[in-house]
Amino acid sequence: MKPAPFTYHRPETLDDALDLLATHGDDAKVLAGGQSLIPLMALRMGRPGHVVDIGRIAGLDSITVGADGDVTIGALVRHEQTRTSTDVATHAPLIATAMPWVAHRAIRSRGTVLGSIAHGDPAAEMPAVVLATEPTLIARSSSGVREIAAADFFHGYLDTALRADEILTEVRFPAWSPNAVGAVVEVARRHGDYALVGMAAMLTVDGDTISSAALAYFGAASTAIRVPDAEQALVGATVSADTFDAAAAIVSAELSPPPDIHASAAYRRHLAGVLTVRGLSAATAEIGADA
Amino acid sequence: MTAPGHPQARENRSGLVGQSVRRVEDDRLLTGAGVFVADRNPDGVLHAVFVRSPLAHARITSIDVAAARRAPGVVAVITGAEMAEMTHPFPPFLMLPGLYTPLFHALSADKVRLVGDPVAVVIAESRYLAEDAADLVDVDYEPLPTVASIAEALSPTSEPLWAKAGGNVMMDHTDTFGDVDAVFAAADRVITERFDCPRQSNQPMETRGSLVEVDAATGHLTIHNATQSSHLLRWAVAALTGKQRTTTALKRFITNKQRRRAFFAGAKQFVGTNRDGLKEQDNAGPLAQLKKDRSFLGHMNKIAVGLLGKDDYPTVKAQDIGGGFGSKGPVAREDIALAAAATSLGRSVKWIEDRTENLMDGGQAREESLTVSIAVDSDGTFRAMRVDLIIDQGAYPGFPIGAPLITKMMKVMFPGAYRWDAFEIRSRVVATNKGRYIPYRGPWANETWARERMIDVVADALGMTPAEIRLHNMIGADDLPTSMVTGPSIDETMSTKQTLERALELIDMDQFERDRVAAAASGRRLGLGIACYHEAAPGPPEFWDCIHPGTGMLTPEEAHTTVEADGSVLVYTQQMPHGQSHETTYAQVAADELGVRIDDVTIVSGDTDRTPFGFAGTGGSRGGPIGAGAVRTTAREVRRQLIESAAGMLEASPDDIEIVDGNIHVAGVPARGVTVAEVARRAADDGASGDLHGAPFEVADVYNGAGDGGWSVATHVCIVDIDLGTGLVTFPRYLVVEDCGPIIHPAVVDGQVRGGVAQGIGAVLYERTTYDEDANLQAATYMDYLVPTAMEIPEIEVHHLETLSPGENDFRGVGEGGMVGAPAAITNAIEHALGARVTTQYLPPTKILELAGVIVPG
Ligand SMILES: Cc1cc2nc3c(=O)[nH]c(=O)nc-3n(C[C@H](O)[C@H](O)[C@H](O)COP(=O)(O)OP(=O)(O)OC[C@H]3O[C@@H](n4cnc5c(N)ncnc54)[C@H](O)[C@@H]3O)c2cc1C
Repeated sequence: MKPAPFTYHRPETLDDALDLLATHGDDAKVLAGGQSLIPLMALRMGRPGHVVDIGRIAGLDSITVGADGDVTIGALVRHEQTRTSTDVATHAPLIATAMPWVAHRAIRSRGTVLGSIAHGDPAAEMPAVVLATEPTLIARSSSGVREIAAADFFHGYLDTALRADEILTEVRFPAWSPNAVGAVVEVARRHGDYALVGMAAMLTVDGDTISSAALAYFGAASTAIRVPDAEQALVGATVSADTFDAAAAIVSAELSPPPDIHASAAYRRHLAGVLTVRGLSAATAEIGADA
Repeated sequence: MTAPGHPQARENRSGLVGQSVRRVEDDRLLTGAGVFVADRNPDGVLHAVFVRSPLAHARITSIDVAAARRAPGVVAVITGAEMAEMTHPFPPFLMLPGLYTPLFHALSADKVRLVGDPVAVVIAESRYLAEDAADLVDVDYEPLPTVASIAEALSPTSEPLWAKAGGNVMMDHTDTFGDVDAVFAAADRVITERFDCPRQSNQPMETRGSLVEVDAATGHLTIHNATQSSHLLRWAVAALTGKQRTTTALKRFITNKQRRRAFFAGAKQFVGTNRDGLKEQDNAGPLAQLKKDRSFLGHMNKIAVGLLGKDDYPTVKAQDIGGGFGSKGPVAREDIALAAAATSLGRSVKWIEDRTENLMDGGQAREESLTVSIAVDSDGTFRAMRVDLIIDQGAYPGFPIGAPLITKMMKVMFPGAYRWDAFEIRSRVVATNKGRYIPYRGPWANETWARERMIDVVADALGMTPAEIRLHNMIGADDLPTSMVTGPSIDETMSTKQTLERALELIDMDQFERDRVAAAASGRRLGLGIACYHEAAPGPPEFWDCIHPGTGMLTPEEAHTTVEADGSVLVYTQQMPHGQSHETTYAQVAADELGVRIDDVTIVSGDTDRTPFGFAGTGGSRGGPIGAGAVRTTAREVRRQLIESAAGMLEASPDDIEIVDGNIHVAGVPARGVTVAEVARRAADDGASGDLHGAPFEVADVYNGAGDGGWSVATHVCIVDIDLGTGLVTFPRYLVVEDCGPIIHPAVVDGQVRGGVAQGIGAVLYERTTYDEDANLQAATYMDYLVPTAMEIPEIEVHHLETLSPGENDFRGVGEGGMVGAPAAITNAIEHALGARVTTQYLPPTKILELAGVIVPG
């Protein structure tokens, strides 16, 4: 369980890192927290010829709150940093809510939020949080900067809109609306495992009427996935068990999650419905509690 | 905690036994100062990597290692064919009636039989370089049809793994006790159910590993290995490696007087101690083997003559070991390949198994199908039981023991703590293209699972509660003395019924019923499960002969206790601690017996140059009864000798002398004493020096355990809480009432019980060695083979009874029981919760919701 030979690079500046990626292209991999890349290399399932460790690059490890309340997270911000940040709790609470579900503390202390997004594991929490909250993803290469919309980012299993020569340097989450509530719920076989199925939900609520809804599921398809029909069923409806049950029925009907050795497709479909109800109840229960 | 008034309590001089004293090994292990095989990196050591088959079943048509040999840092690449020139095949060890044991080599040369089958070994300057080169080995395989399940193995058209076996059924044997047909015919009802237990894996935290050091001058091998039995490994390596021509070996034997003498002395001693056992060996086993394959005679001959012709046998040294659960008891093919490679290169070689290798072939267990029929009267009285047992032993048989011996253990234990008029078990062992089936903590445990599951099924059919039917049929004090229908005698140590009664007192059934109703209203289901068992720890004297005549000779165990000239006490044991706290518990026993402080006692284990011979190592819940018994008797004799020596110095009668905290004095007059160190120093000055270790006081003794009785028993009761939305199972309560006799160290006993229960929880809810229909391993990393963590394990209450036995050494084994009882209690609770028949041991969330009727099986 040792990686195949590779050349290790540890550039001090973003430009140097981007140059290395430009030079080595498909044969290079960015190394952030290493919690996904290193196991793949150790199993020789990933065999990059060049590893570009971005860990020493200054300026990538901050969480910044913009004037209008948007939150920008840099490429070296660790999961654990967002779990404990008061800025994140206040301005991007869905990230903070997702974090306790992400692996274990030791892994969260190394693994990065953007690494998780860039890796694009369909059972990971952050890609679903991205789909639900619709941040702007900022990718840089030696030839320039690109802003990618959340909806365009995840292409397939471990496949994203990022090009081999790009680094995802920041993700900018829009300001959290005062009317917004959210929840992240999941079932994993053991504490800290990737989810069998999970859901990240964000609703805006006027009084007891739902004015917008974003339901993003993980572990339910080859990427994190939204279920627009269920969202539409929620918009304009009142917060109630019947409303949630109706949305859950749509979710269970529309998703066709893959089976694996840990759960059948039928189980996952059923669970997506159960989590829809539980997640929406939890999200809206919080409004009541705050009010 | 020790029962007051018991002779042991009175003789207990320092009062250490019965206390949760601070663990001796903790300082070292918790500060990272332990030394595991992986921690040893002698200068110039080479690293081995095995090239393994990606296919489950295939013929090897060619193997090209030229590119690998040329790769950077590579010192050697040895193929299966080359290895066969250097080593003997693993011979059949325990030949049983109706059994065929195939012979196999350390590496495969012609055919691969599982994903992960080693076909070559690459030896290079680093593990990295060795893995790089292993990638370059080019093997052509011609795929063969695979055998992935018991059902396929039973099919007469399945592709045989072993040509000489004539199919994939390797053993078929029926044992009958009493007139089963007649009792079945006479009973009111017969109830039958089939239970299937999927494959699990032992999964110690430390994988297997070995470092073979070669002395440049003499060629002597020193093997540092994570083994549960260092002497077994030593002899297996001596026997199977260093293959030489028979004539050469014979010549060497005949011309070496010293070796000749040593051999005959050894043989005489072996025959002397095992006369009865040897007499009882029957020929049916060897005849069954001969009928299929005569080749073992020639190999055994060559192995024996080869051993005689060797001038030097390896030394095995095992130090800290990170668990085993049975997986480090068997001798691995890799162990043999590594020793052969190191010998041929004349250089030290190391192999640390990685987790994927470990999951592929580090040892798997429990895959068994058990069809159980119970003949029962309408009032719930059990009359007879019939079992059809099939074990999937995977591709290669475990060495020295595997599925065949385990069928015998299951045969004896199946009836459990209940009264039966008759019993019959048909035992089959089949070969499939999967990992090696080996003993796993409580290797016979599925007899308890299937029986205790079945008893609930019978109770349900008769409208009785699980507790009622058990109490009605269980052997109690009034039945004593009696014996199991399968042979072993039963004395008062089989207190299973008392543990059940105590457990029932500890559960508030009315409260449970109220909780159950409340839970049902919120989409949850509660269930309560009971499981009862007894295990031989060590069992009555005839126990092993009931398993199979002659195997009783594995029981005795030797220990040495010495007092050094500085007064320190050394205890030498053949036990091989790998997490069981022997350094603490044996020191407690020895210190109490001698009257010295626990700090004065050091336990020596694992080094074949220093420790007494014994093949059993640590396993089989023997450490308390047999191992500690040997420690106790030797320490007692050392104490007698110390007192006798001191009597002269103190001018007192030995009868009046006691030893307290290392001070030897007339009872009640400590001020006029001498210390153990002073007595030892005086003896050393007078020239006393033992033959074994050169210490002034030195006692060796073989302890048999026979006559100590010794059943270890328990009842597990658990309550499960099932979320019908998610299929997740939690445990509001898990309690164990156990009786392993007087307890040496309560925290260690509780730890053993809880660890066993944790593995039982793993077995039911998390762990499965999944193969697909082509026998490809689907759970090859810890992402897919799920070992429960502390987060998944509930609080486990452990309650103790401490029934005394009539024997001399009263400690009974406790290492395995937790794992034996848990799967039955949990699956019984789940059936109770869901009201749906549970016939498999593995119940992940999907299965739970299928059973509950929430989702449709897919
Ligand atoms: C035992 C275990 C359990 C886990 N459980 C979970 C879980 O429950 N949920 C979960 O979400 N995750 C889980 N993880 C994964 C963990 O969250 C990882 O940290 C995360 O997926 C990747 O972050 P990283 O910084 O470690 O990325 P790395 O491993 O360094 O990189 C992962 C991939 O992303 C690319 N990459 C990383 N950063 C960038 C960037 N800025 N720009 C472009 N490409 C980049 C890399 O090239 C690589 O391909 C688990 C990991 C382990 C080991």
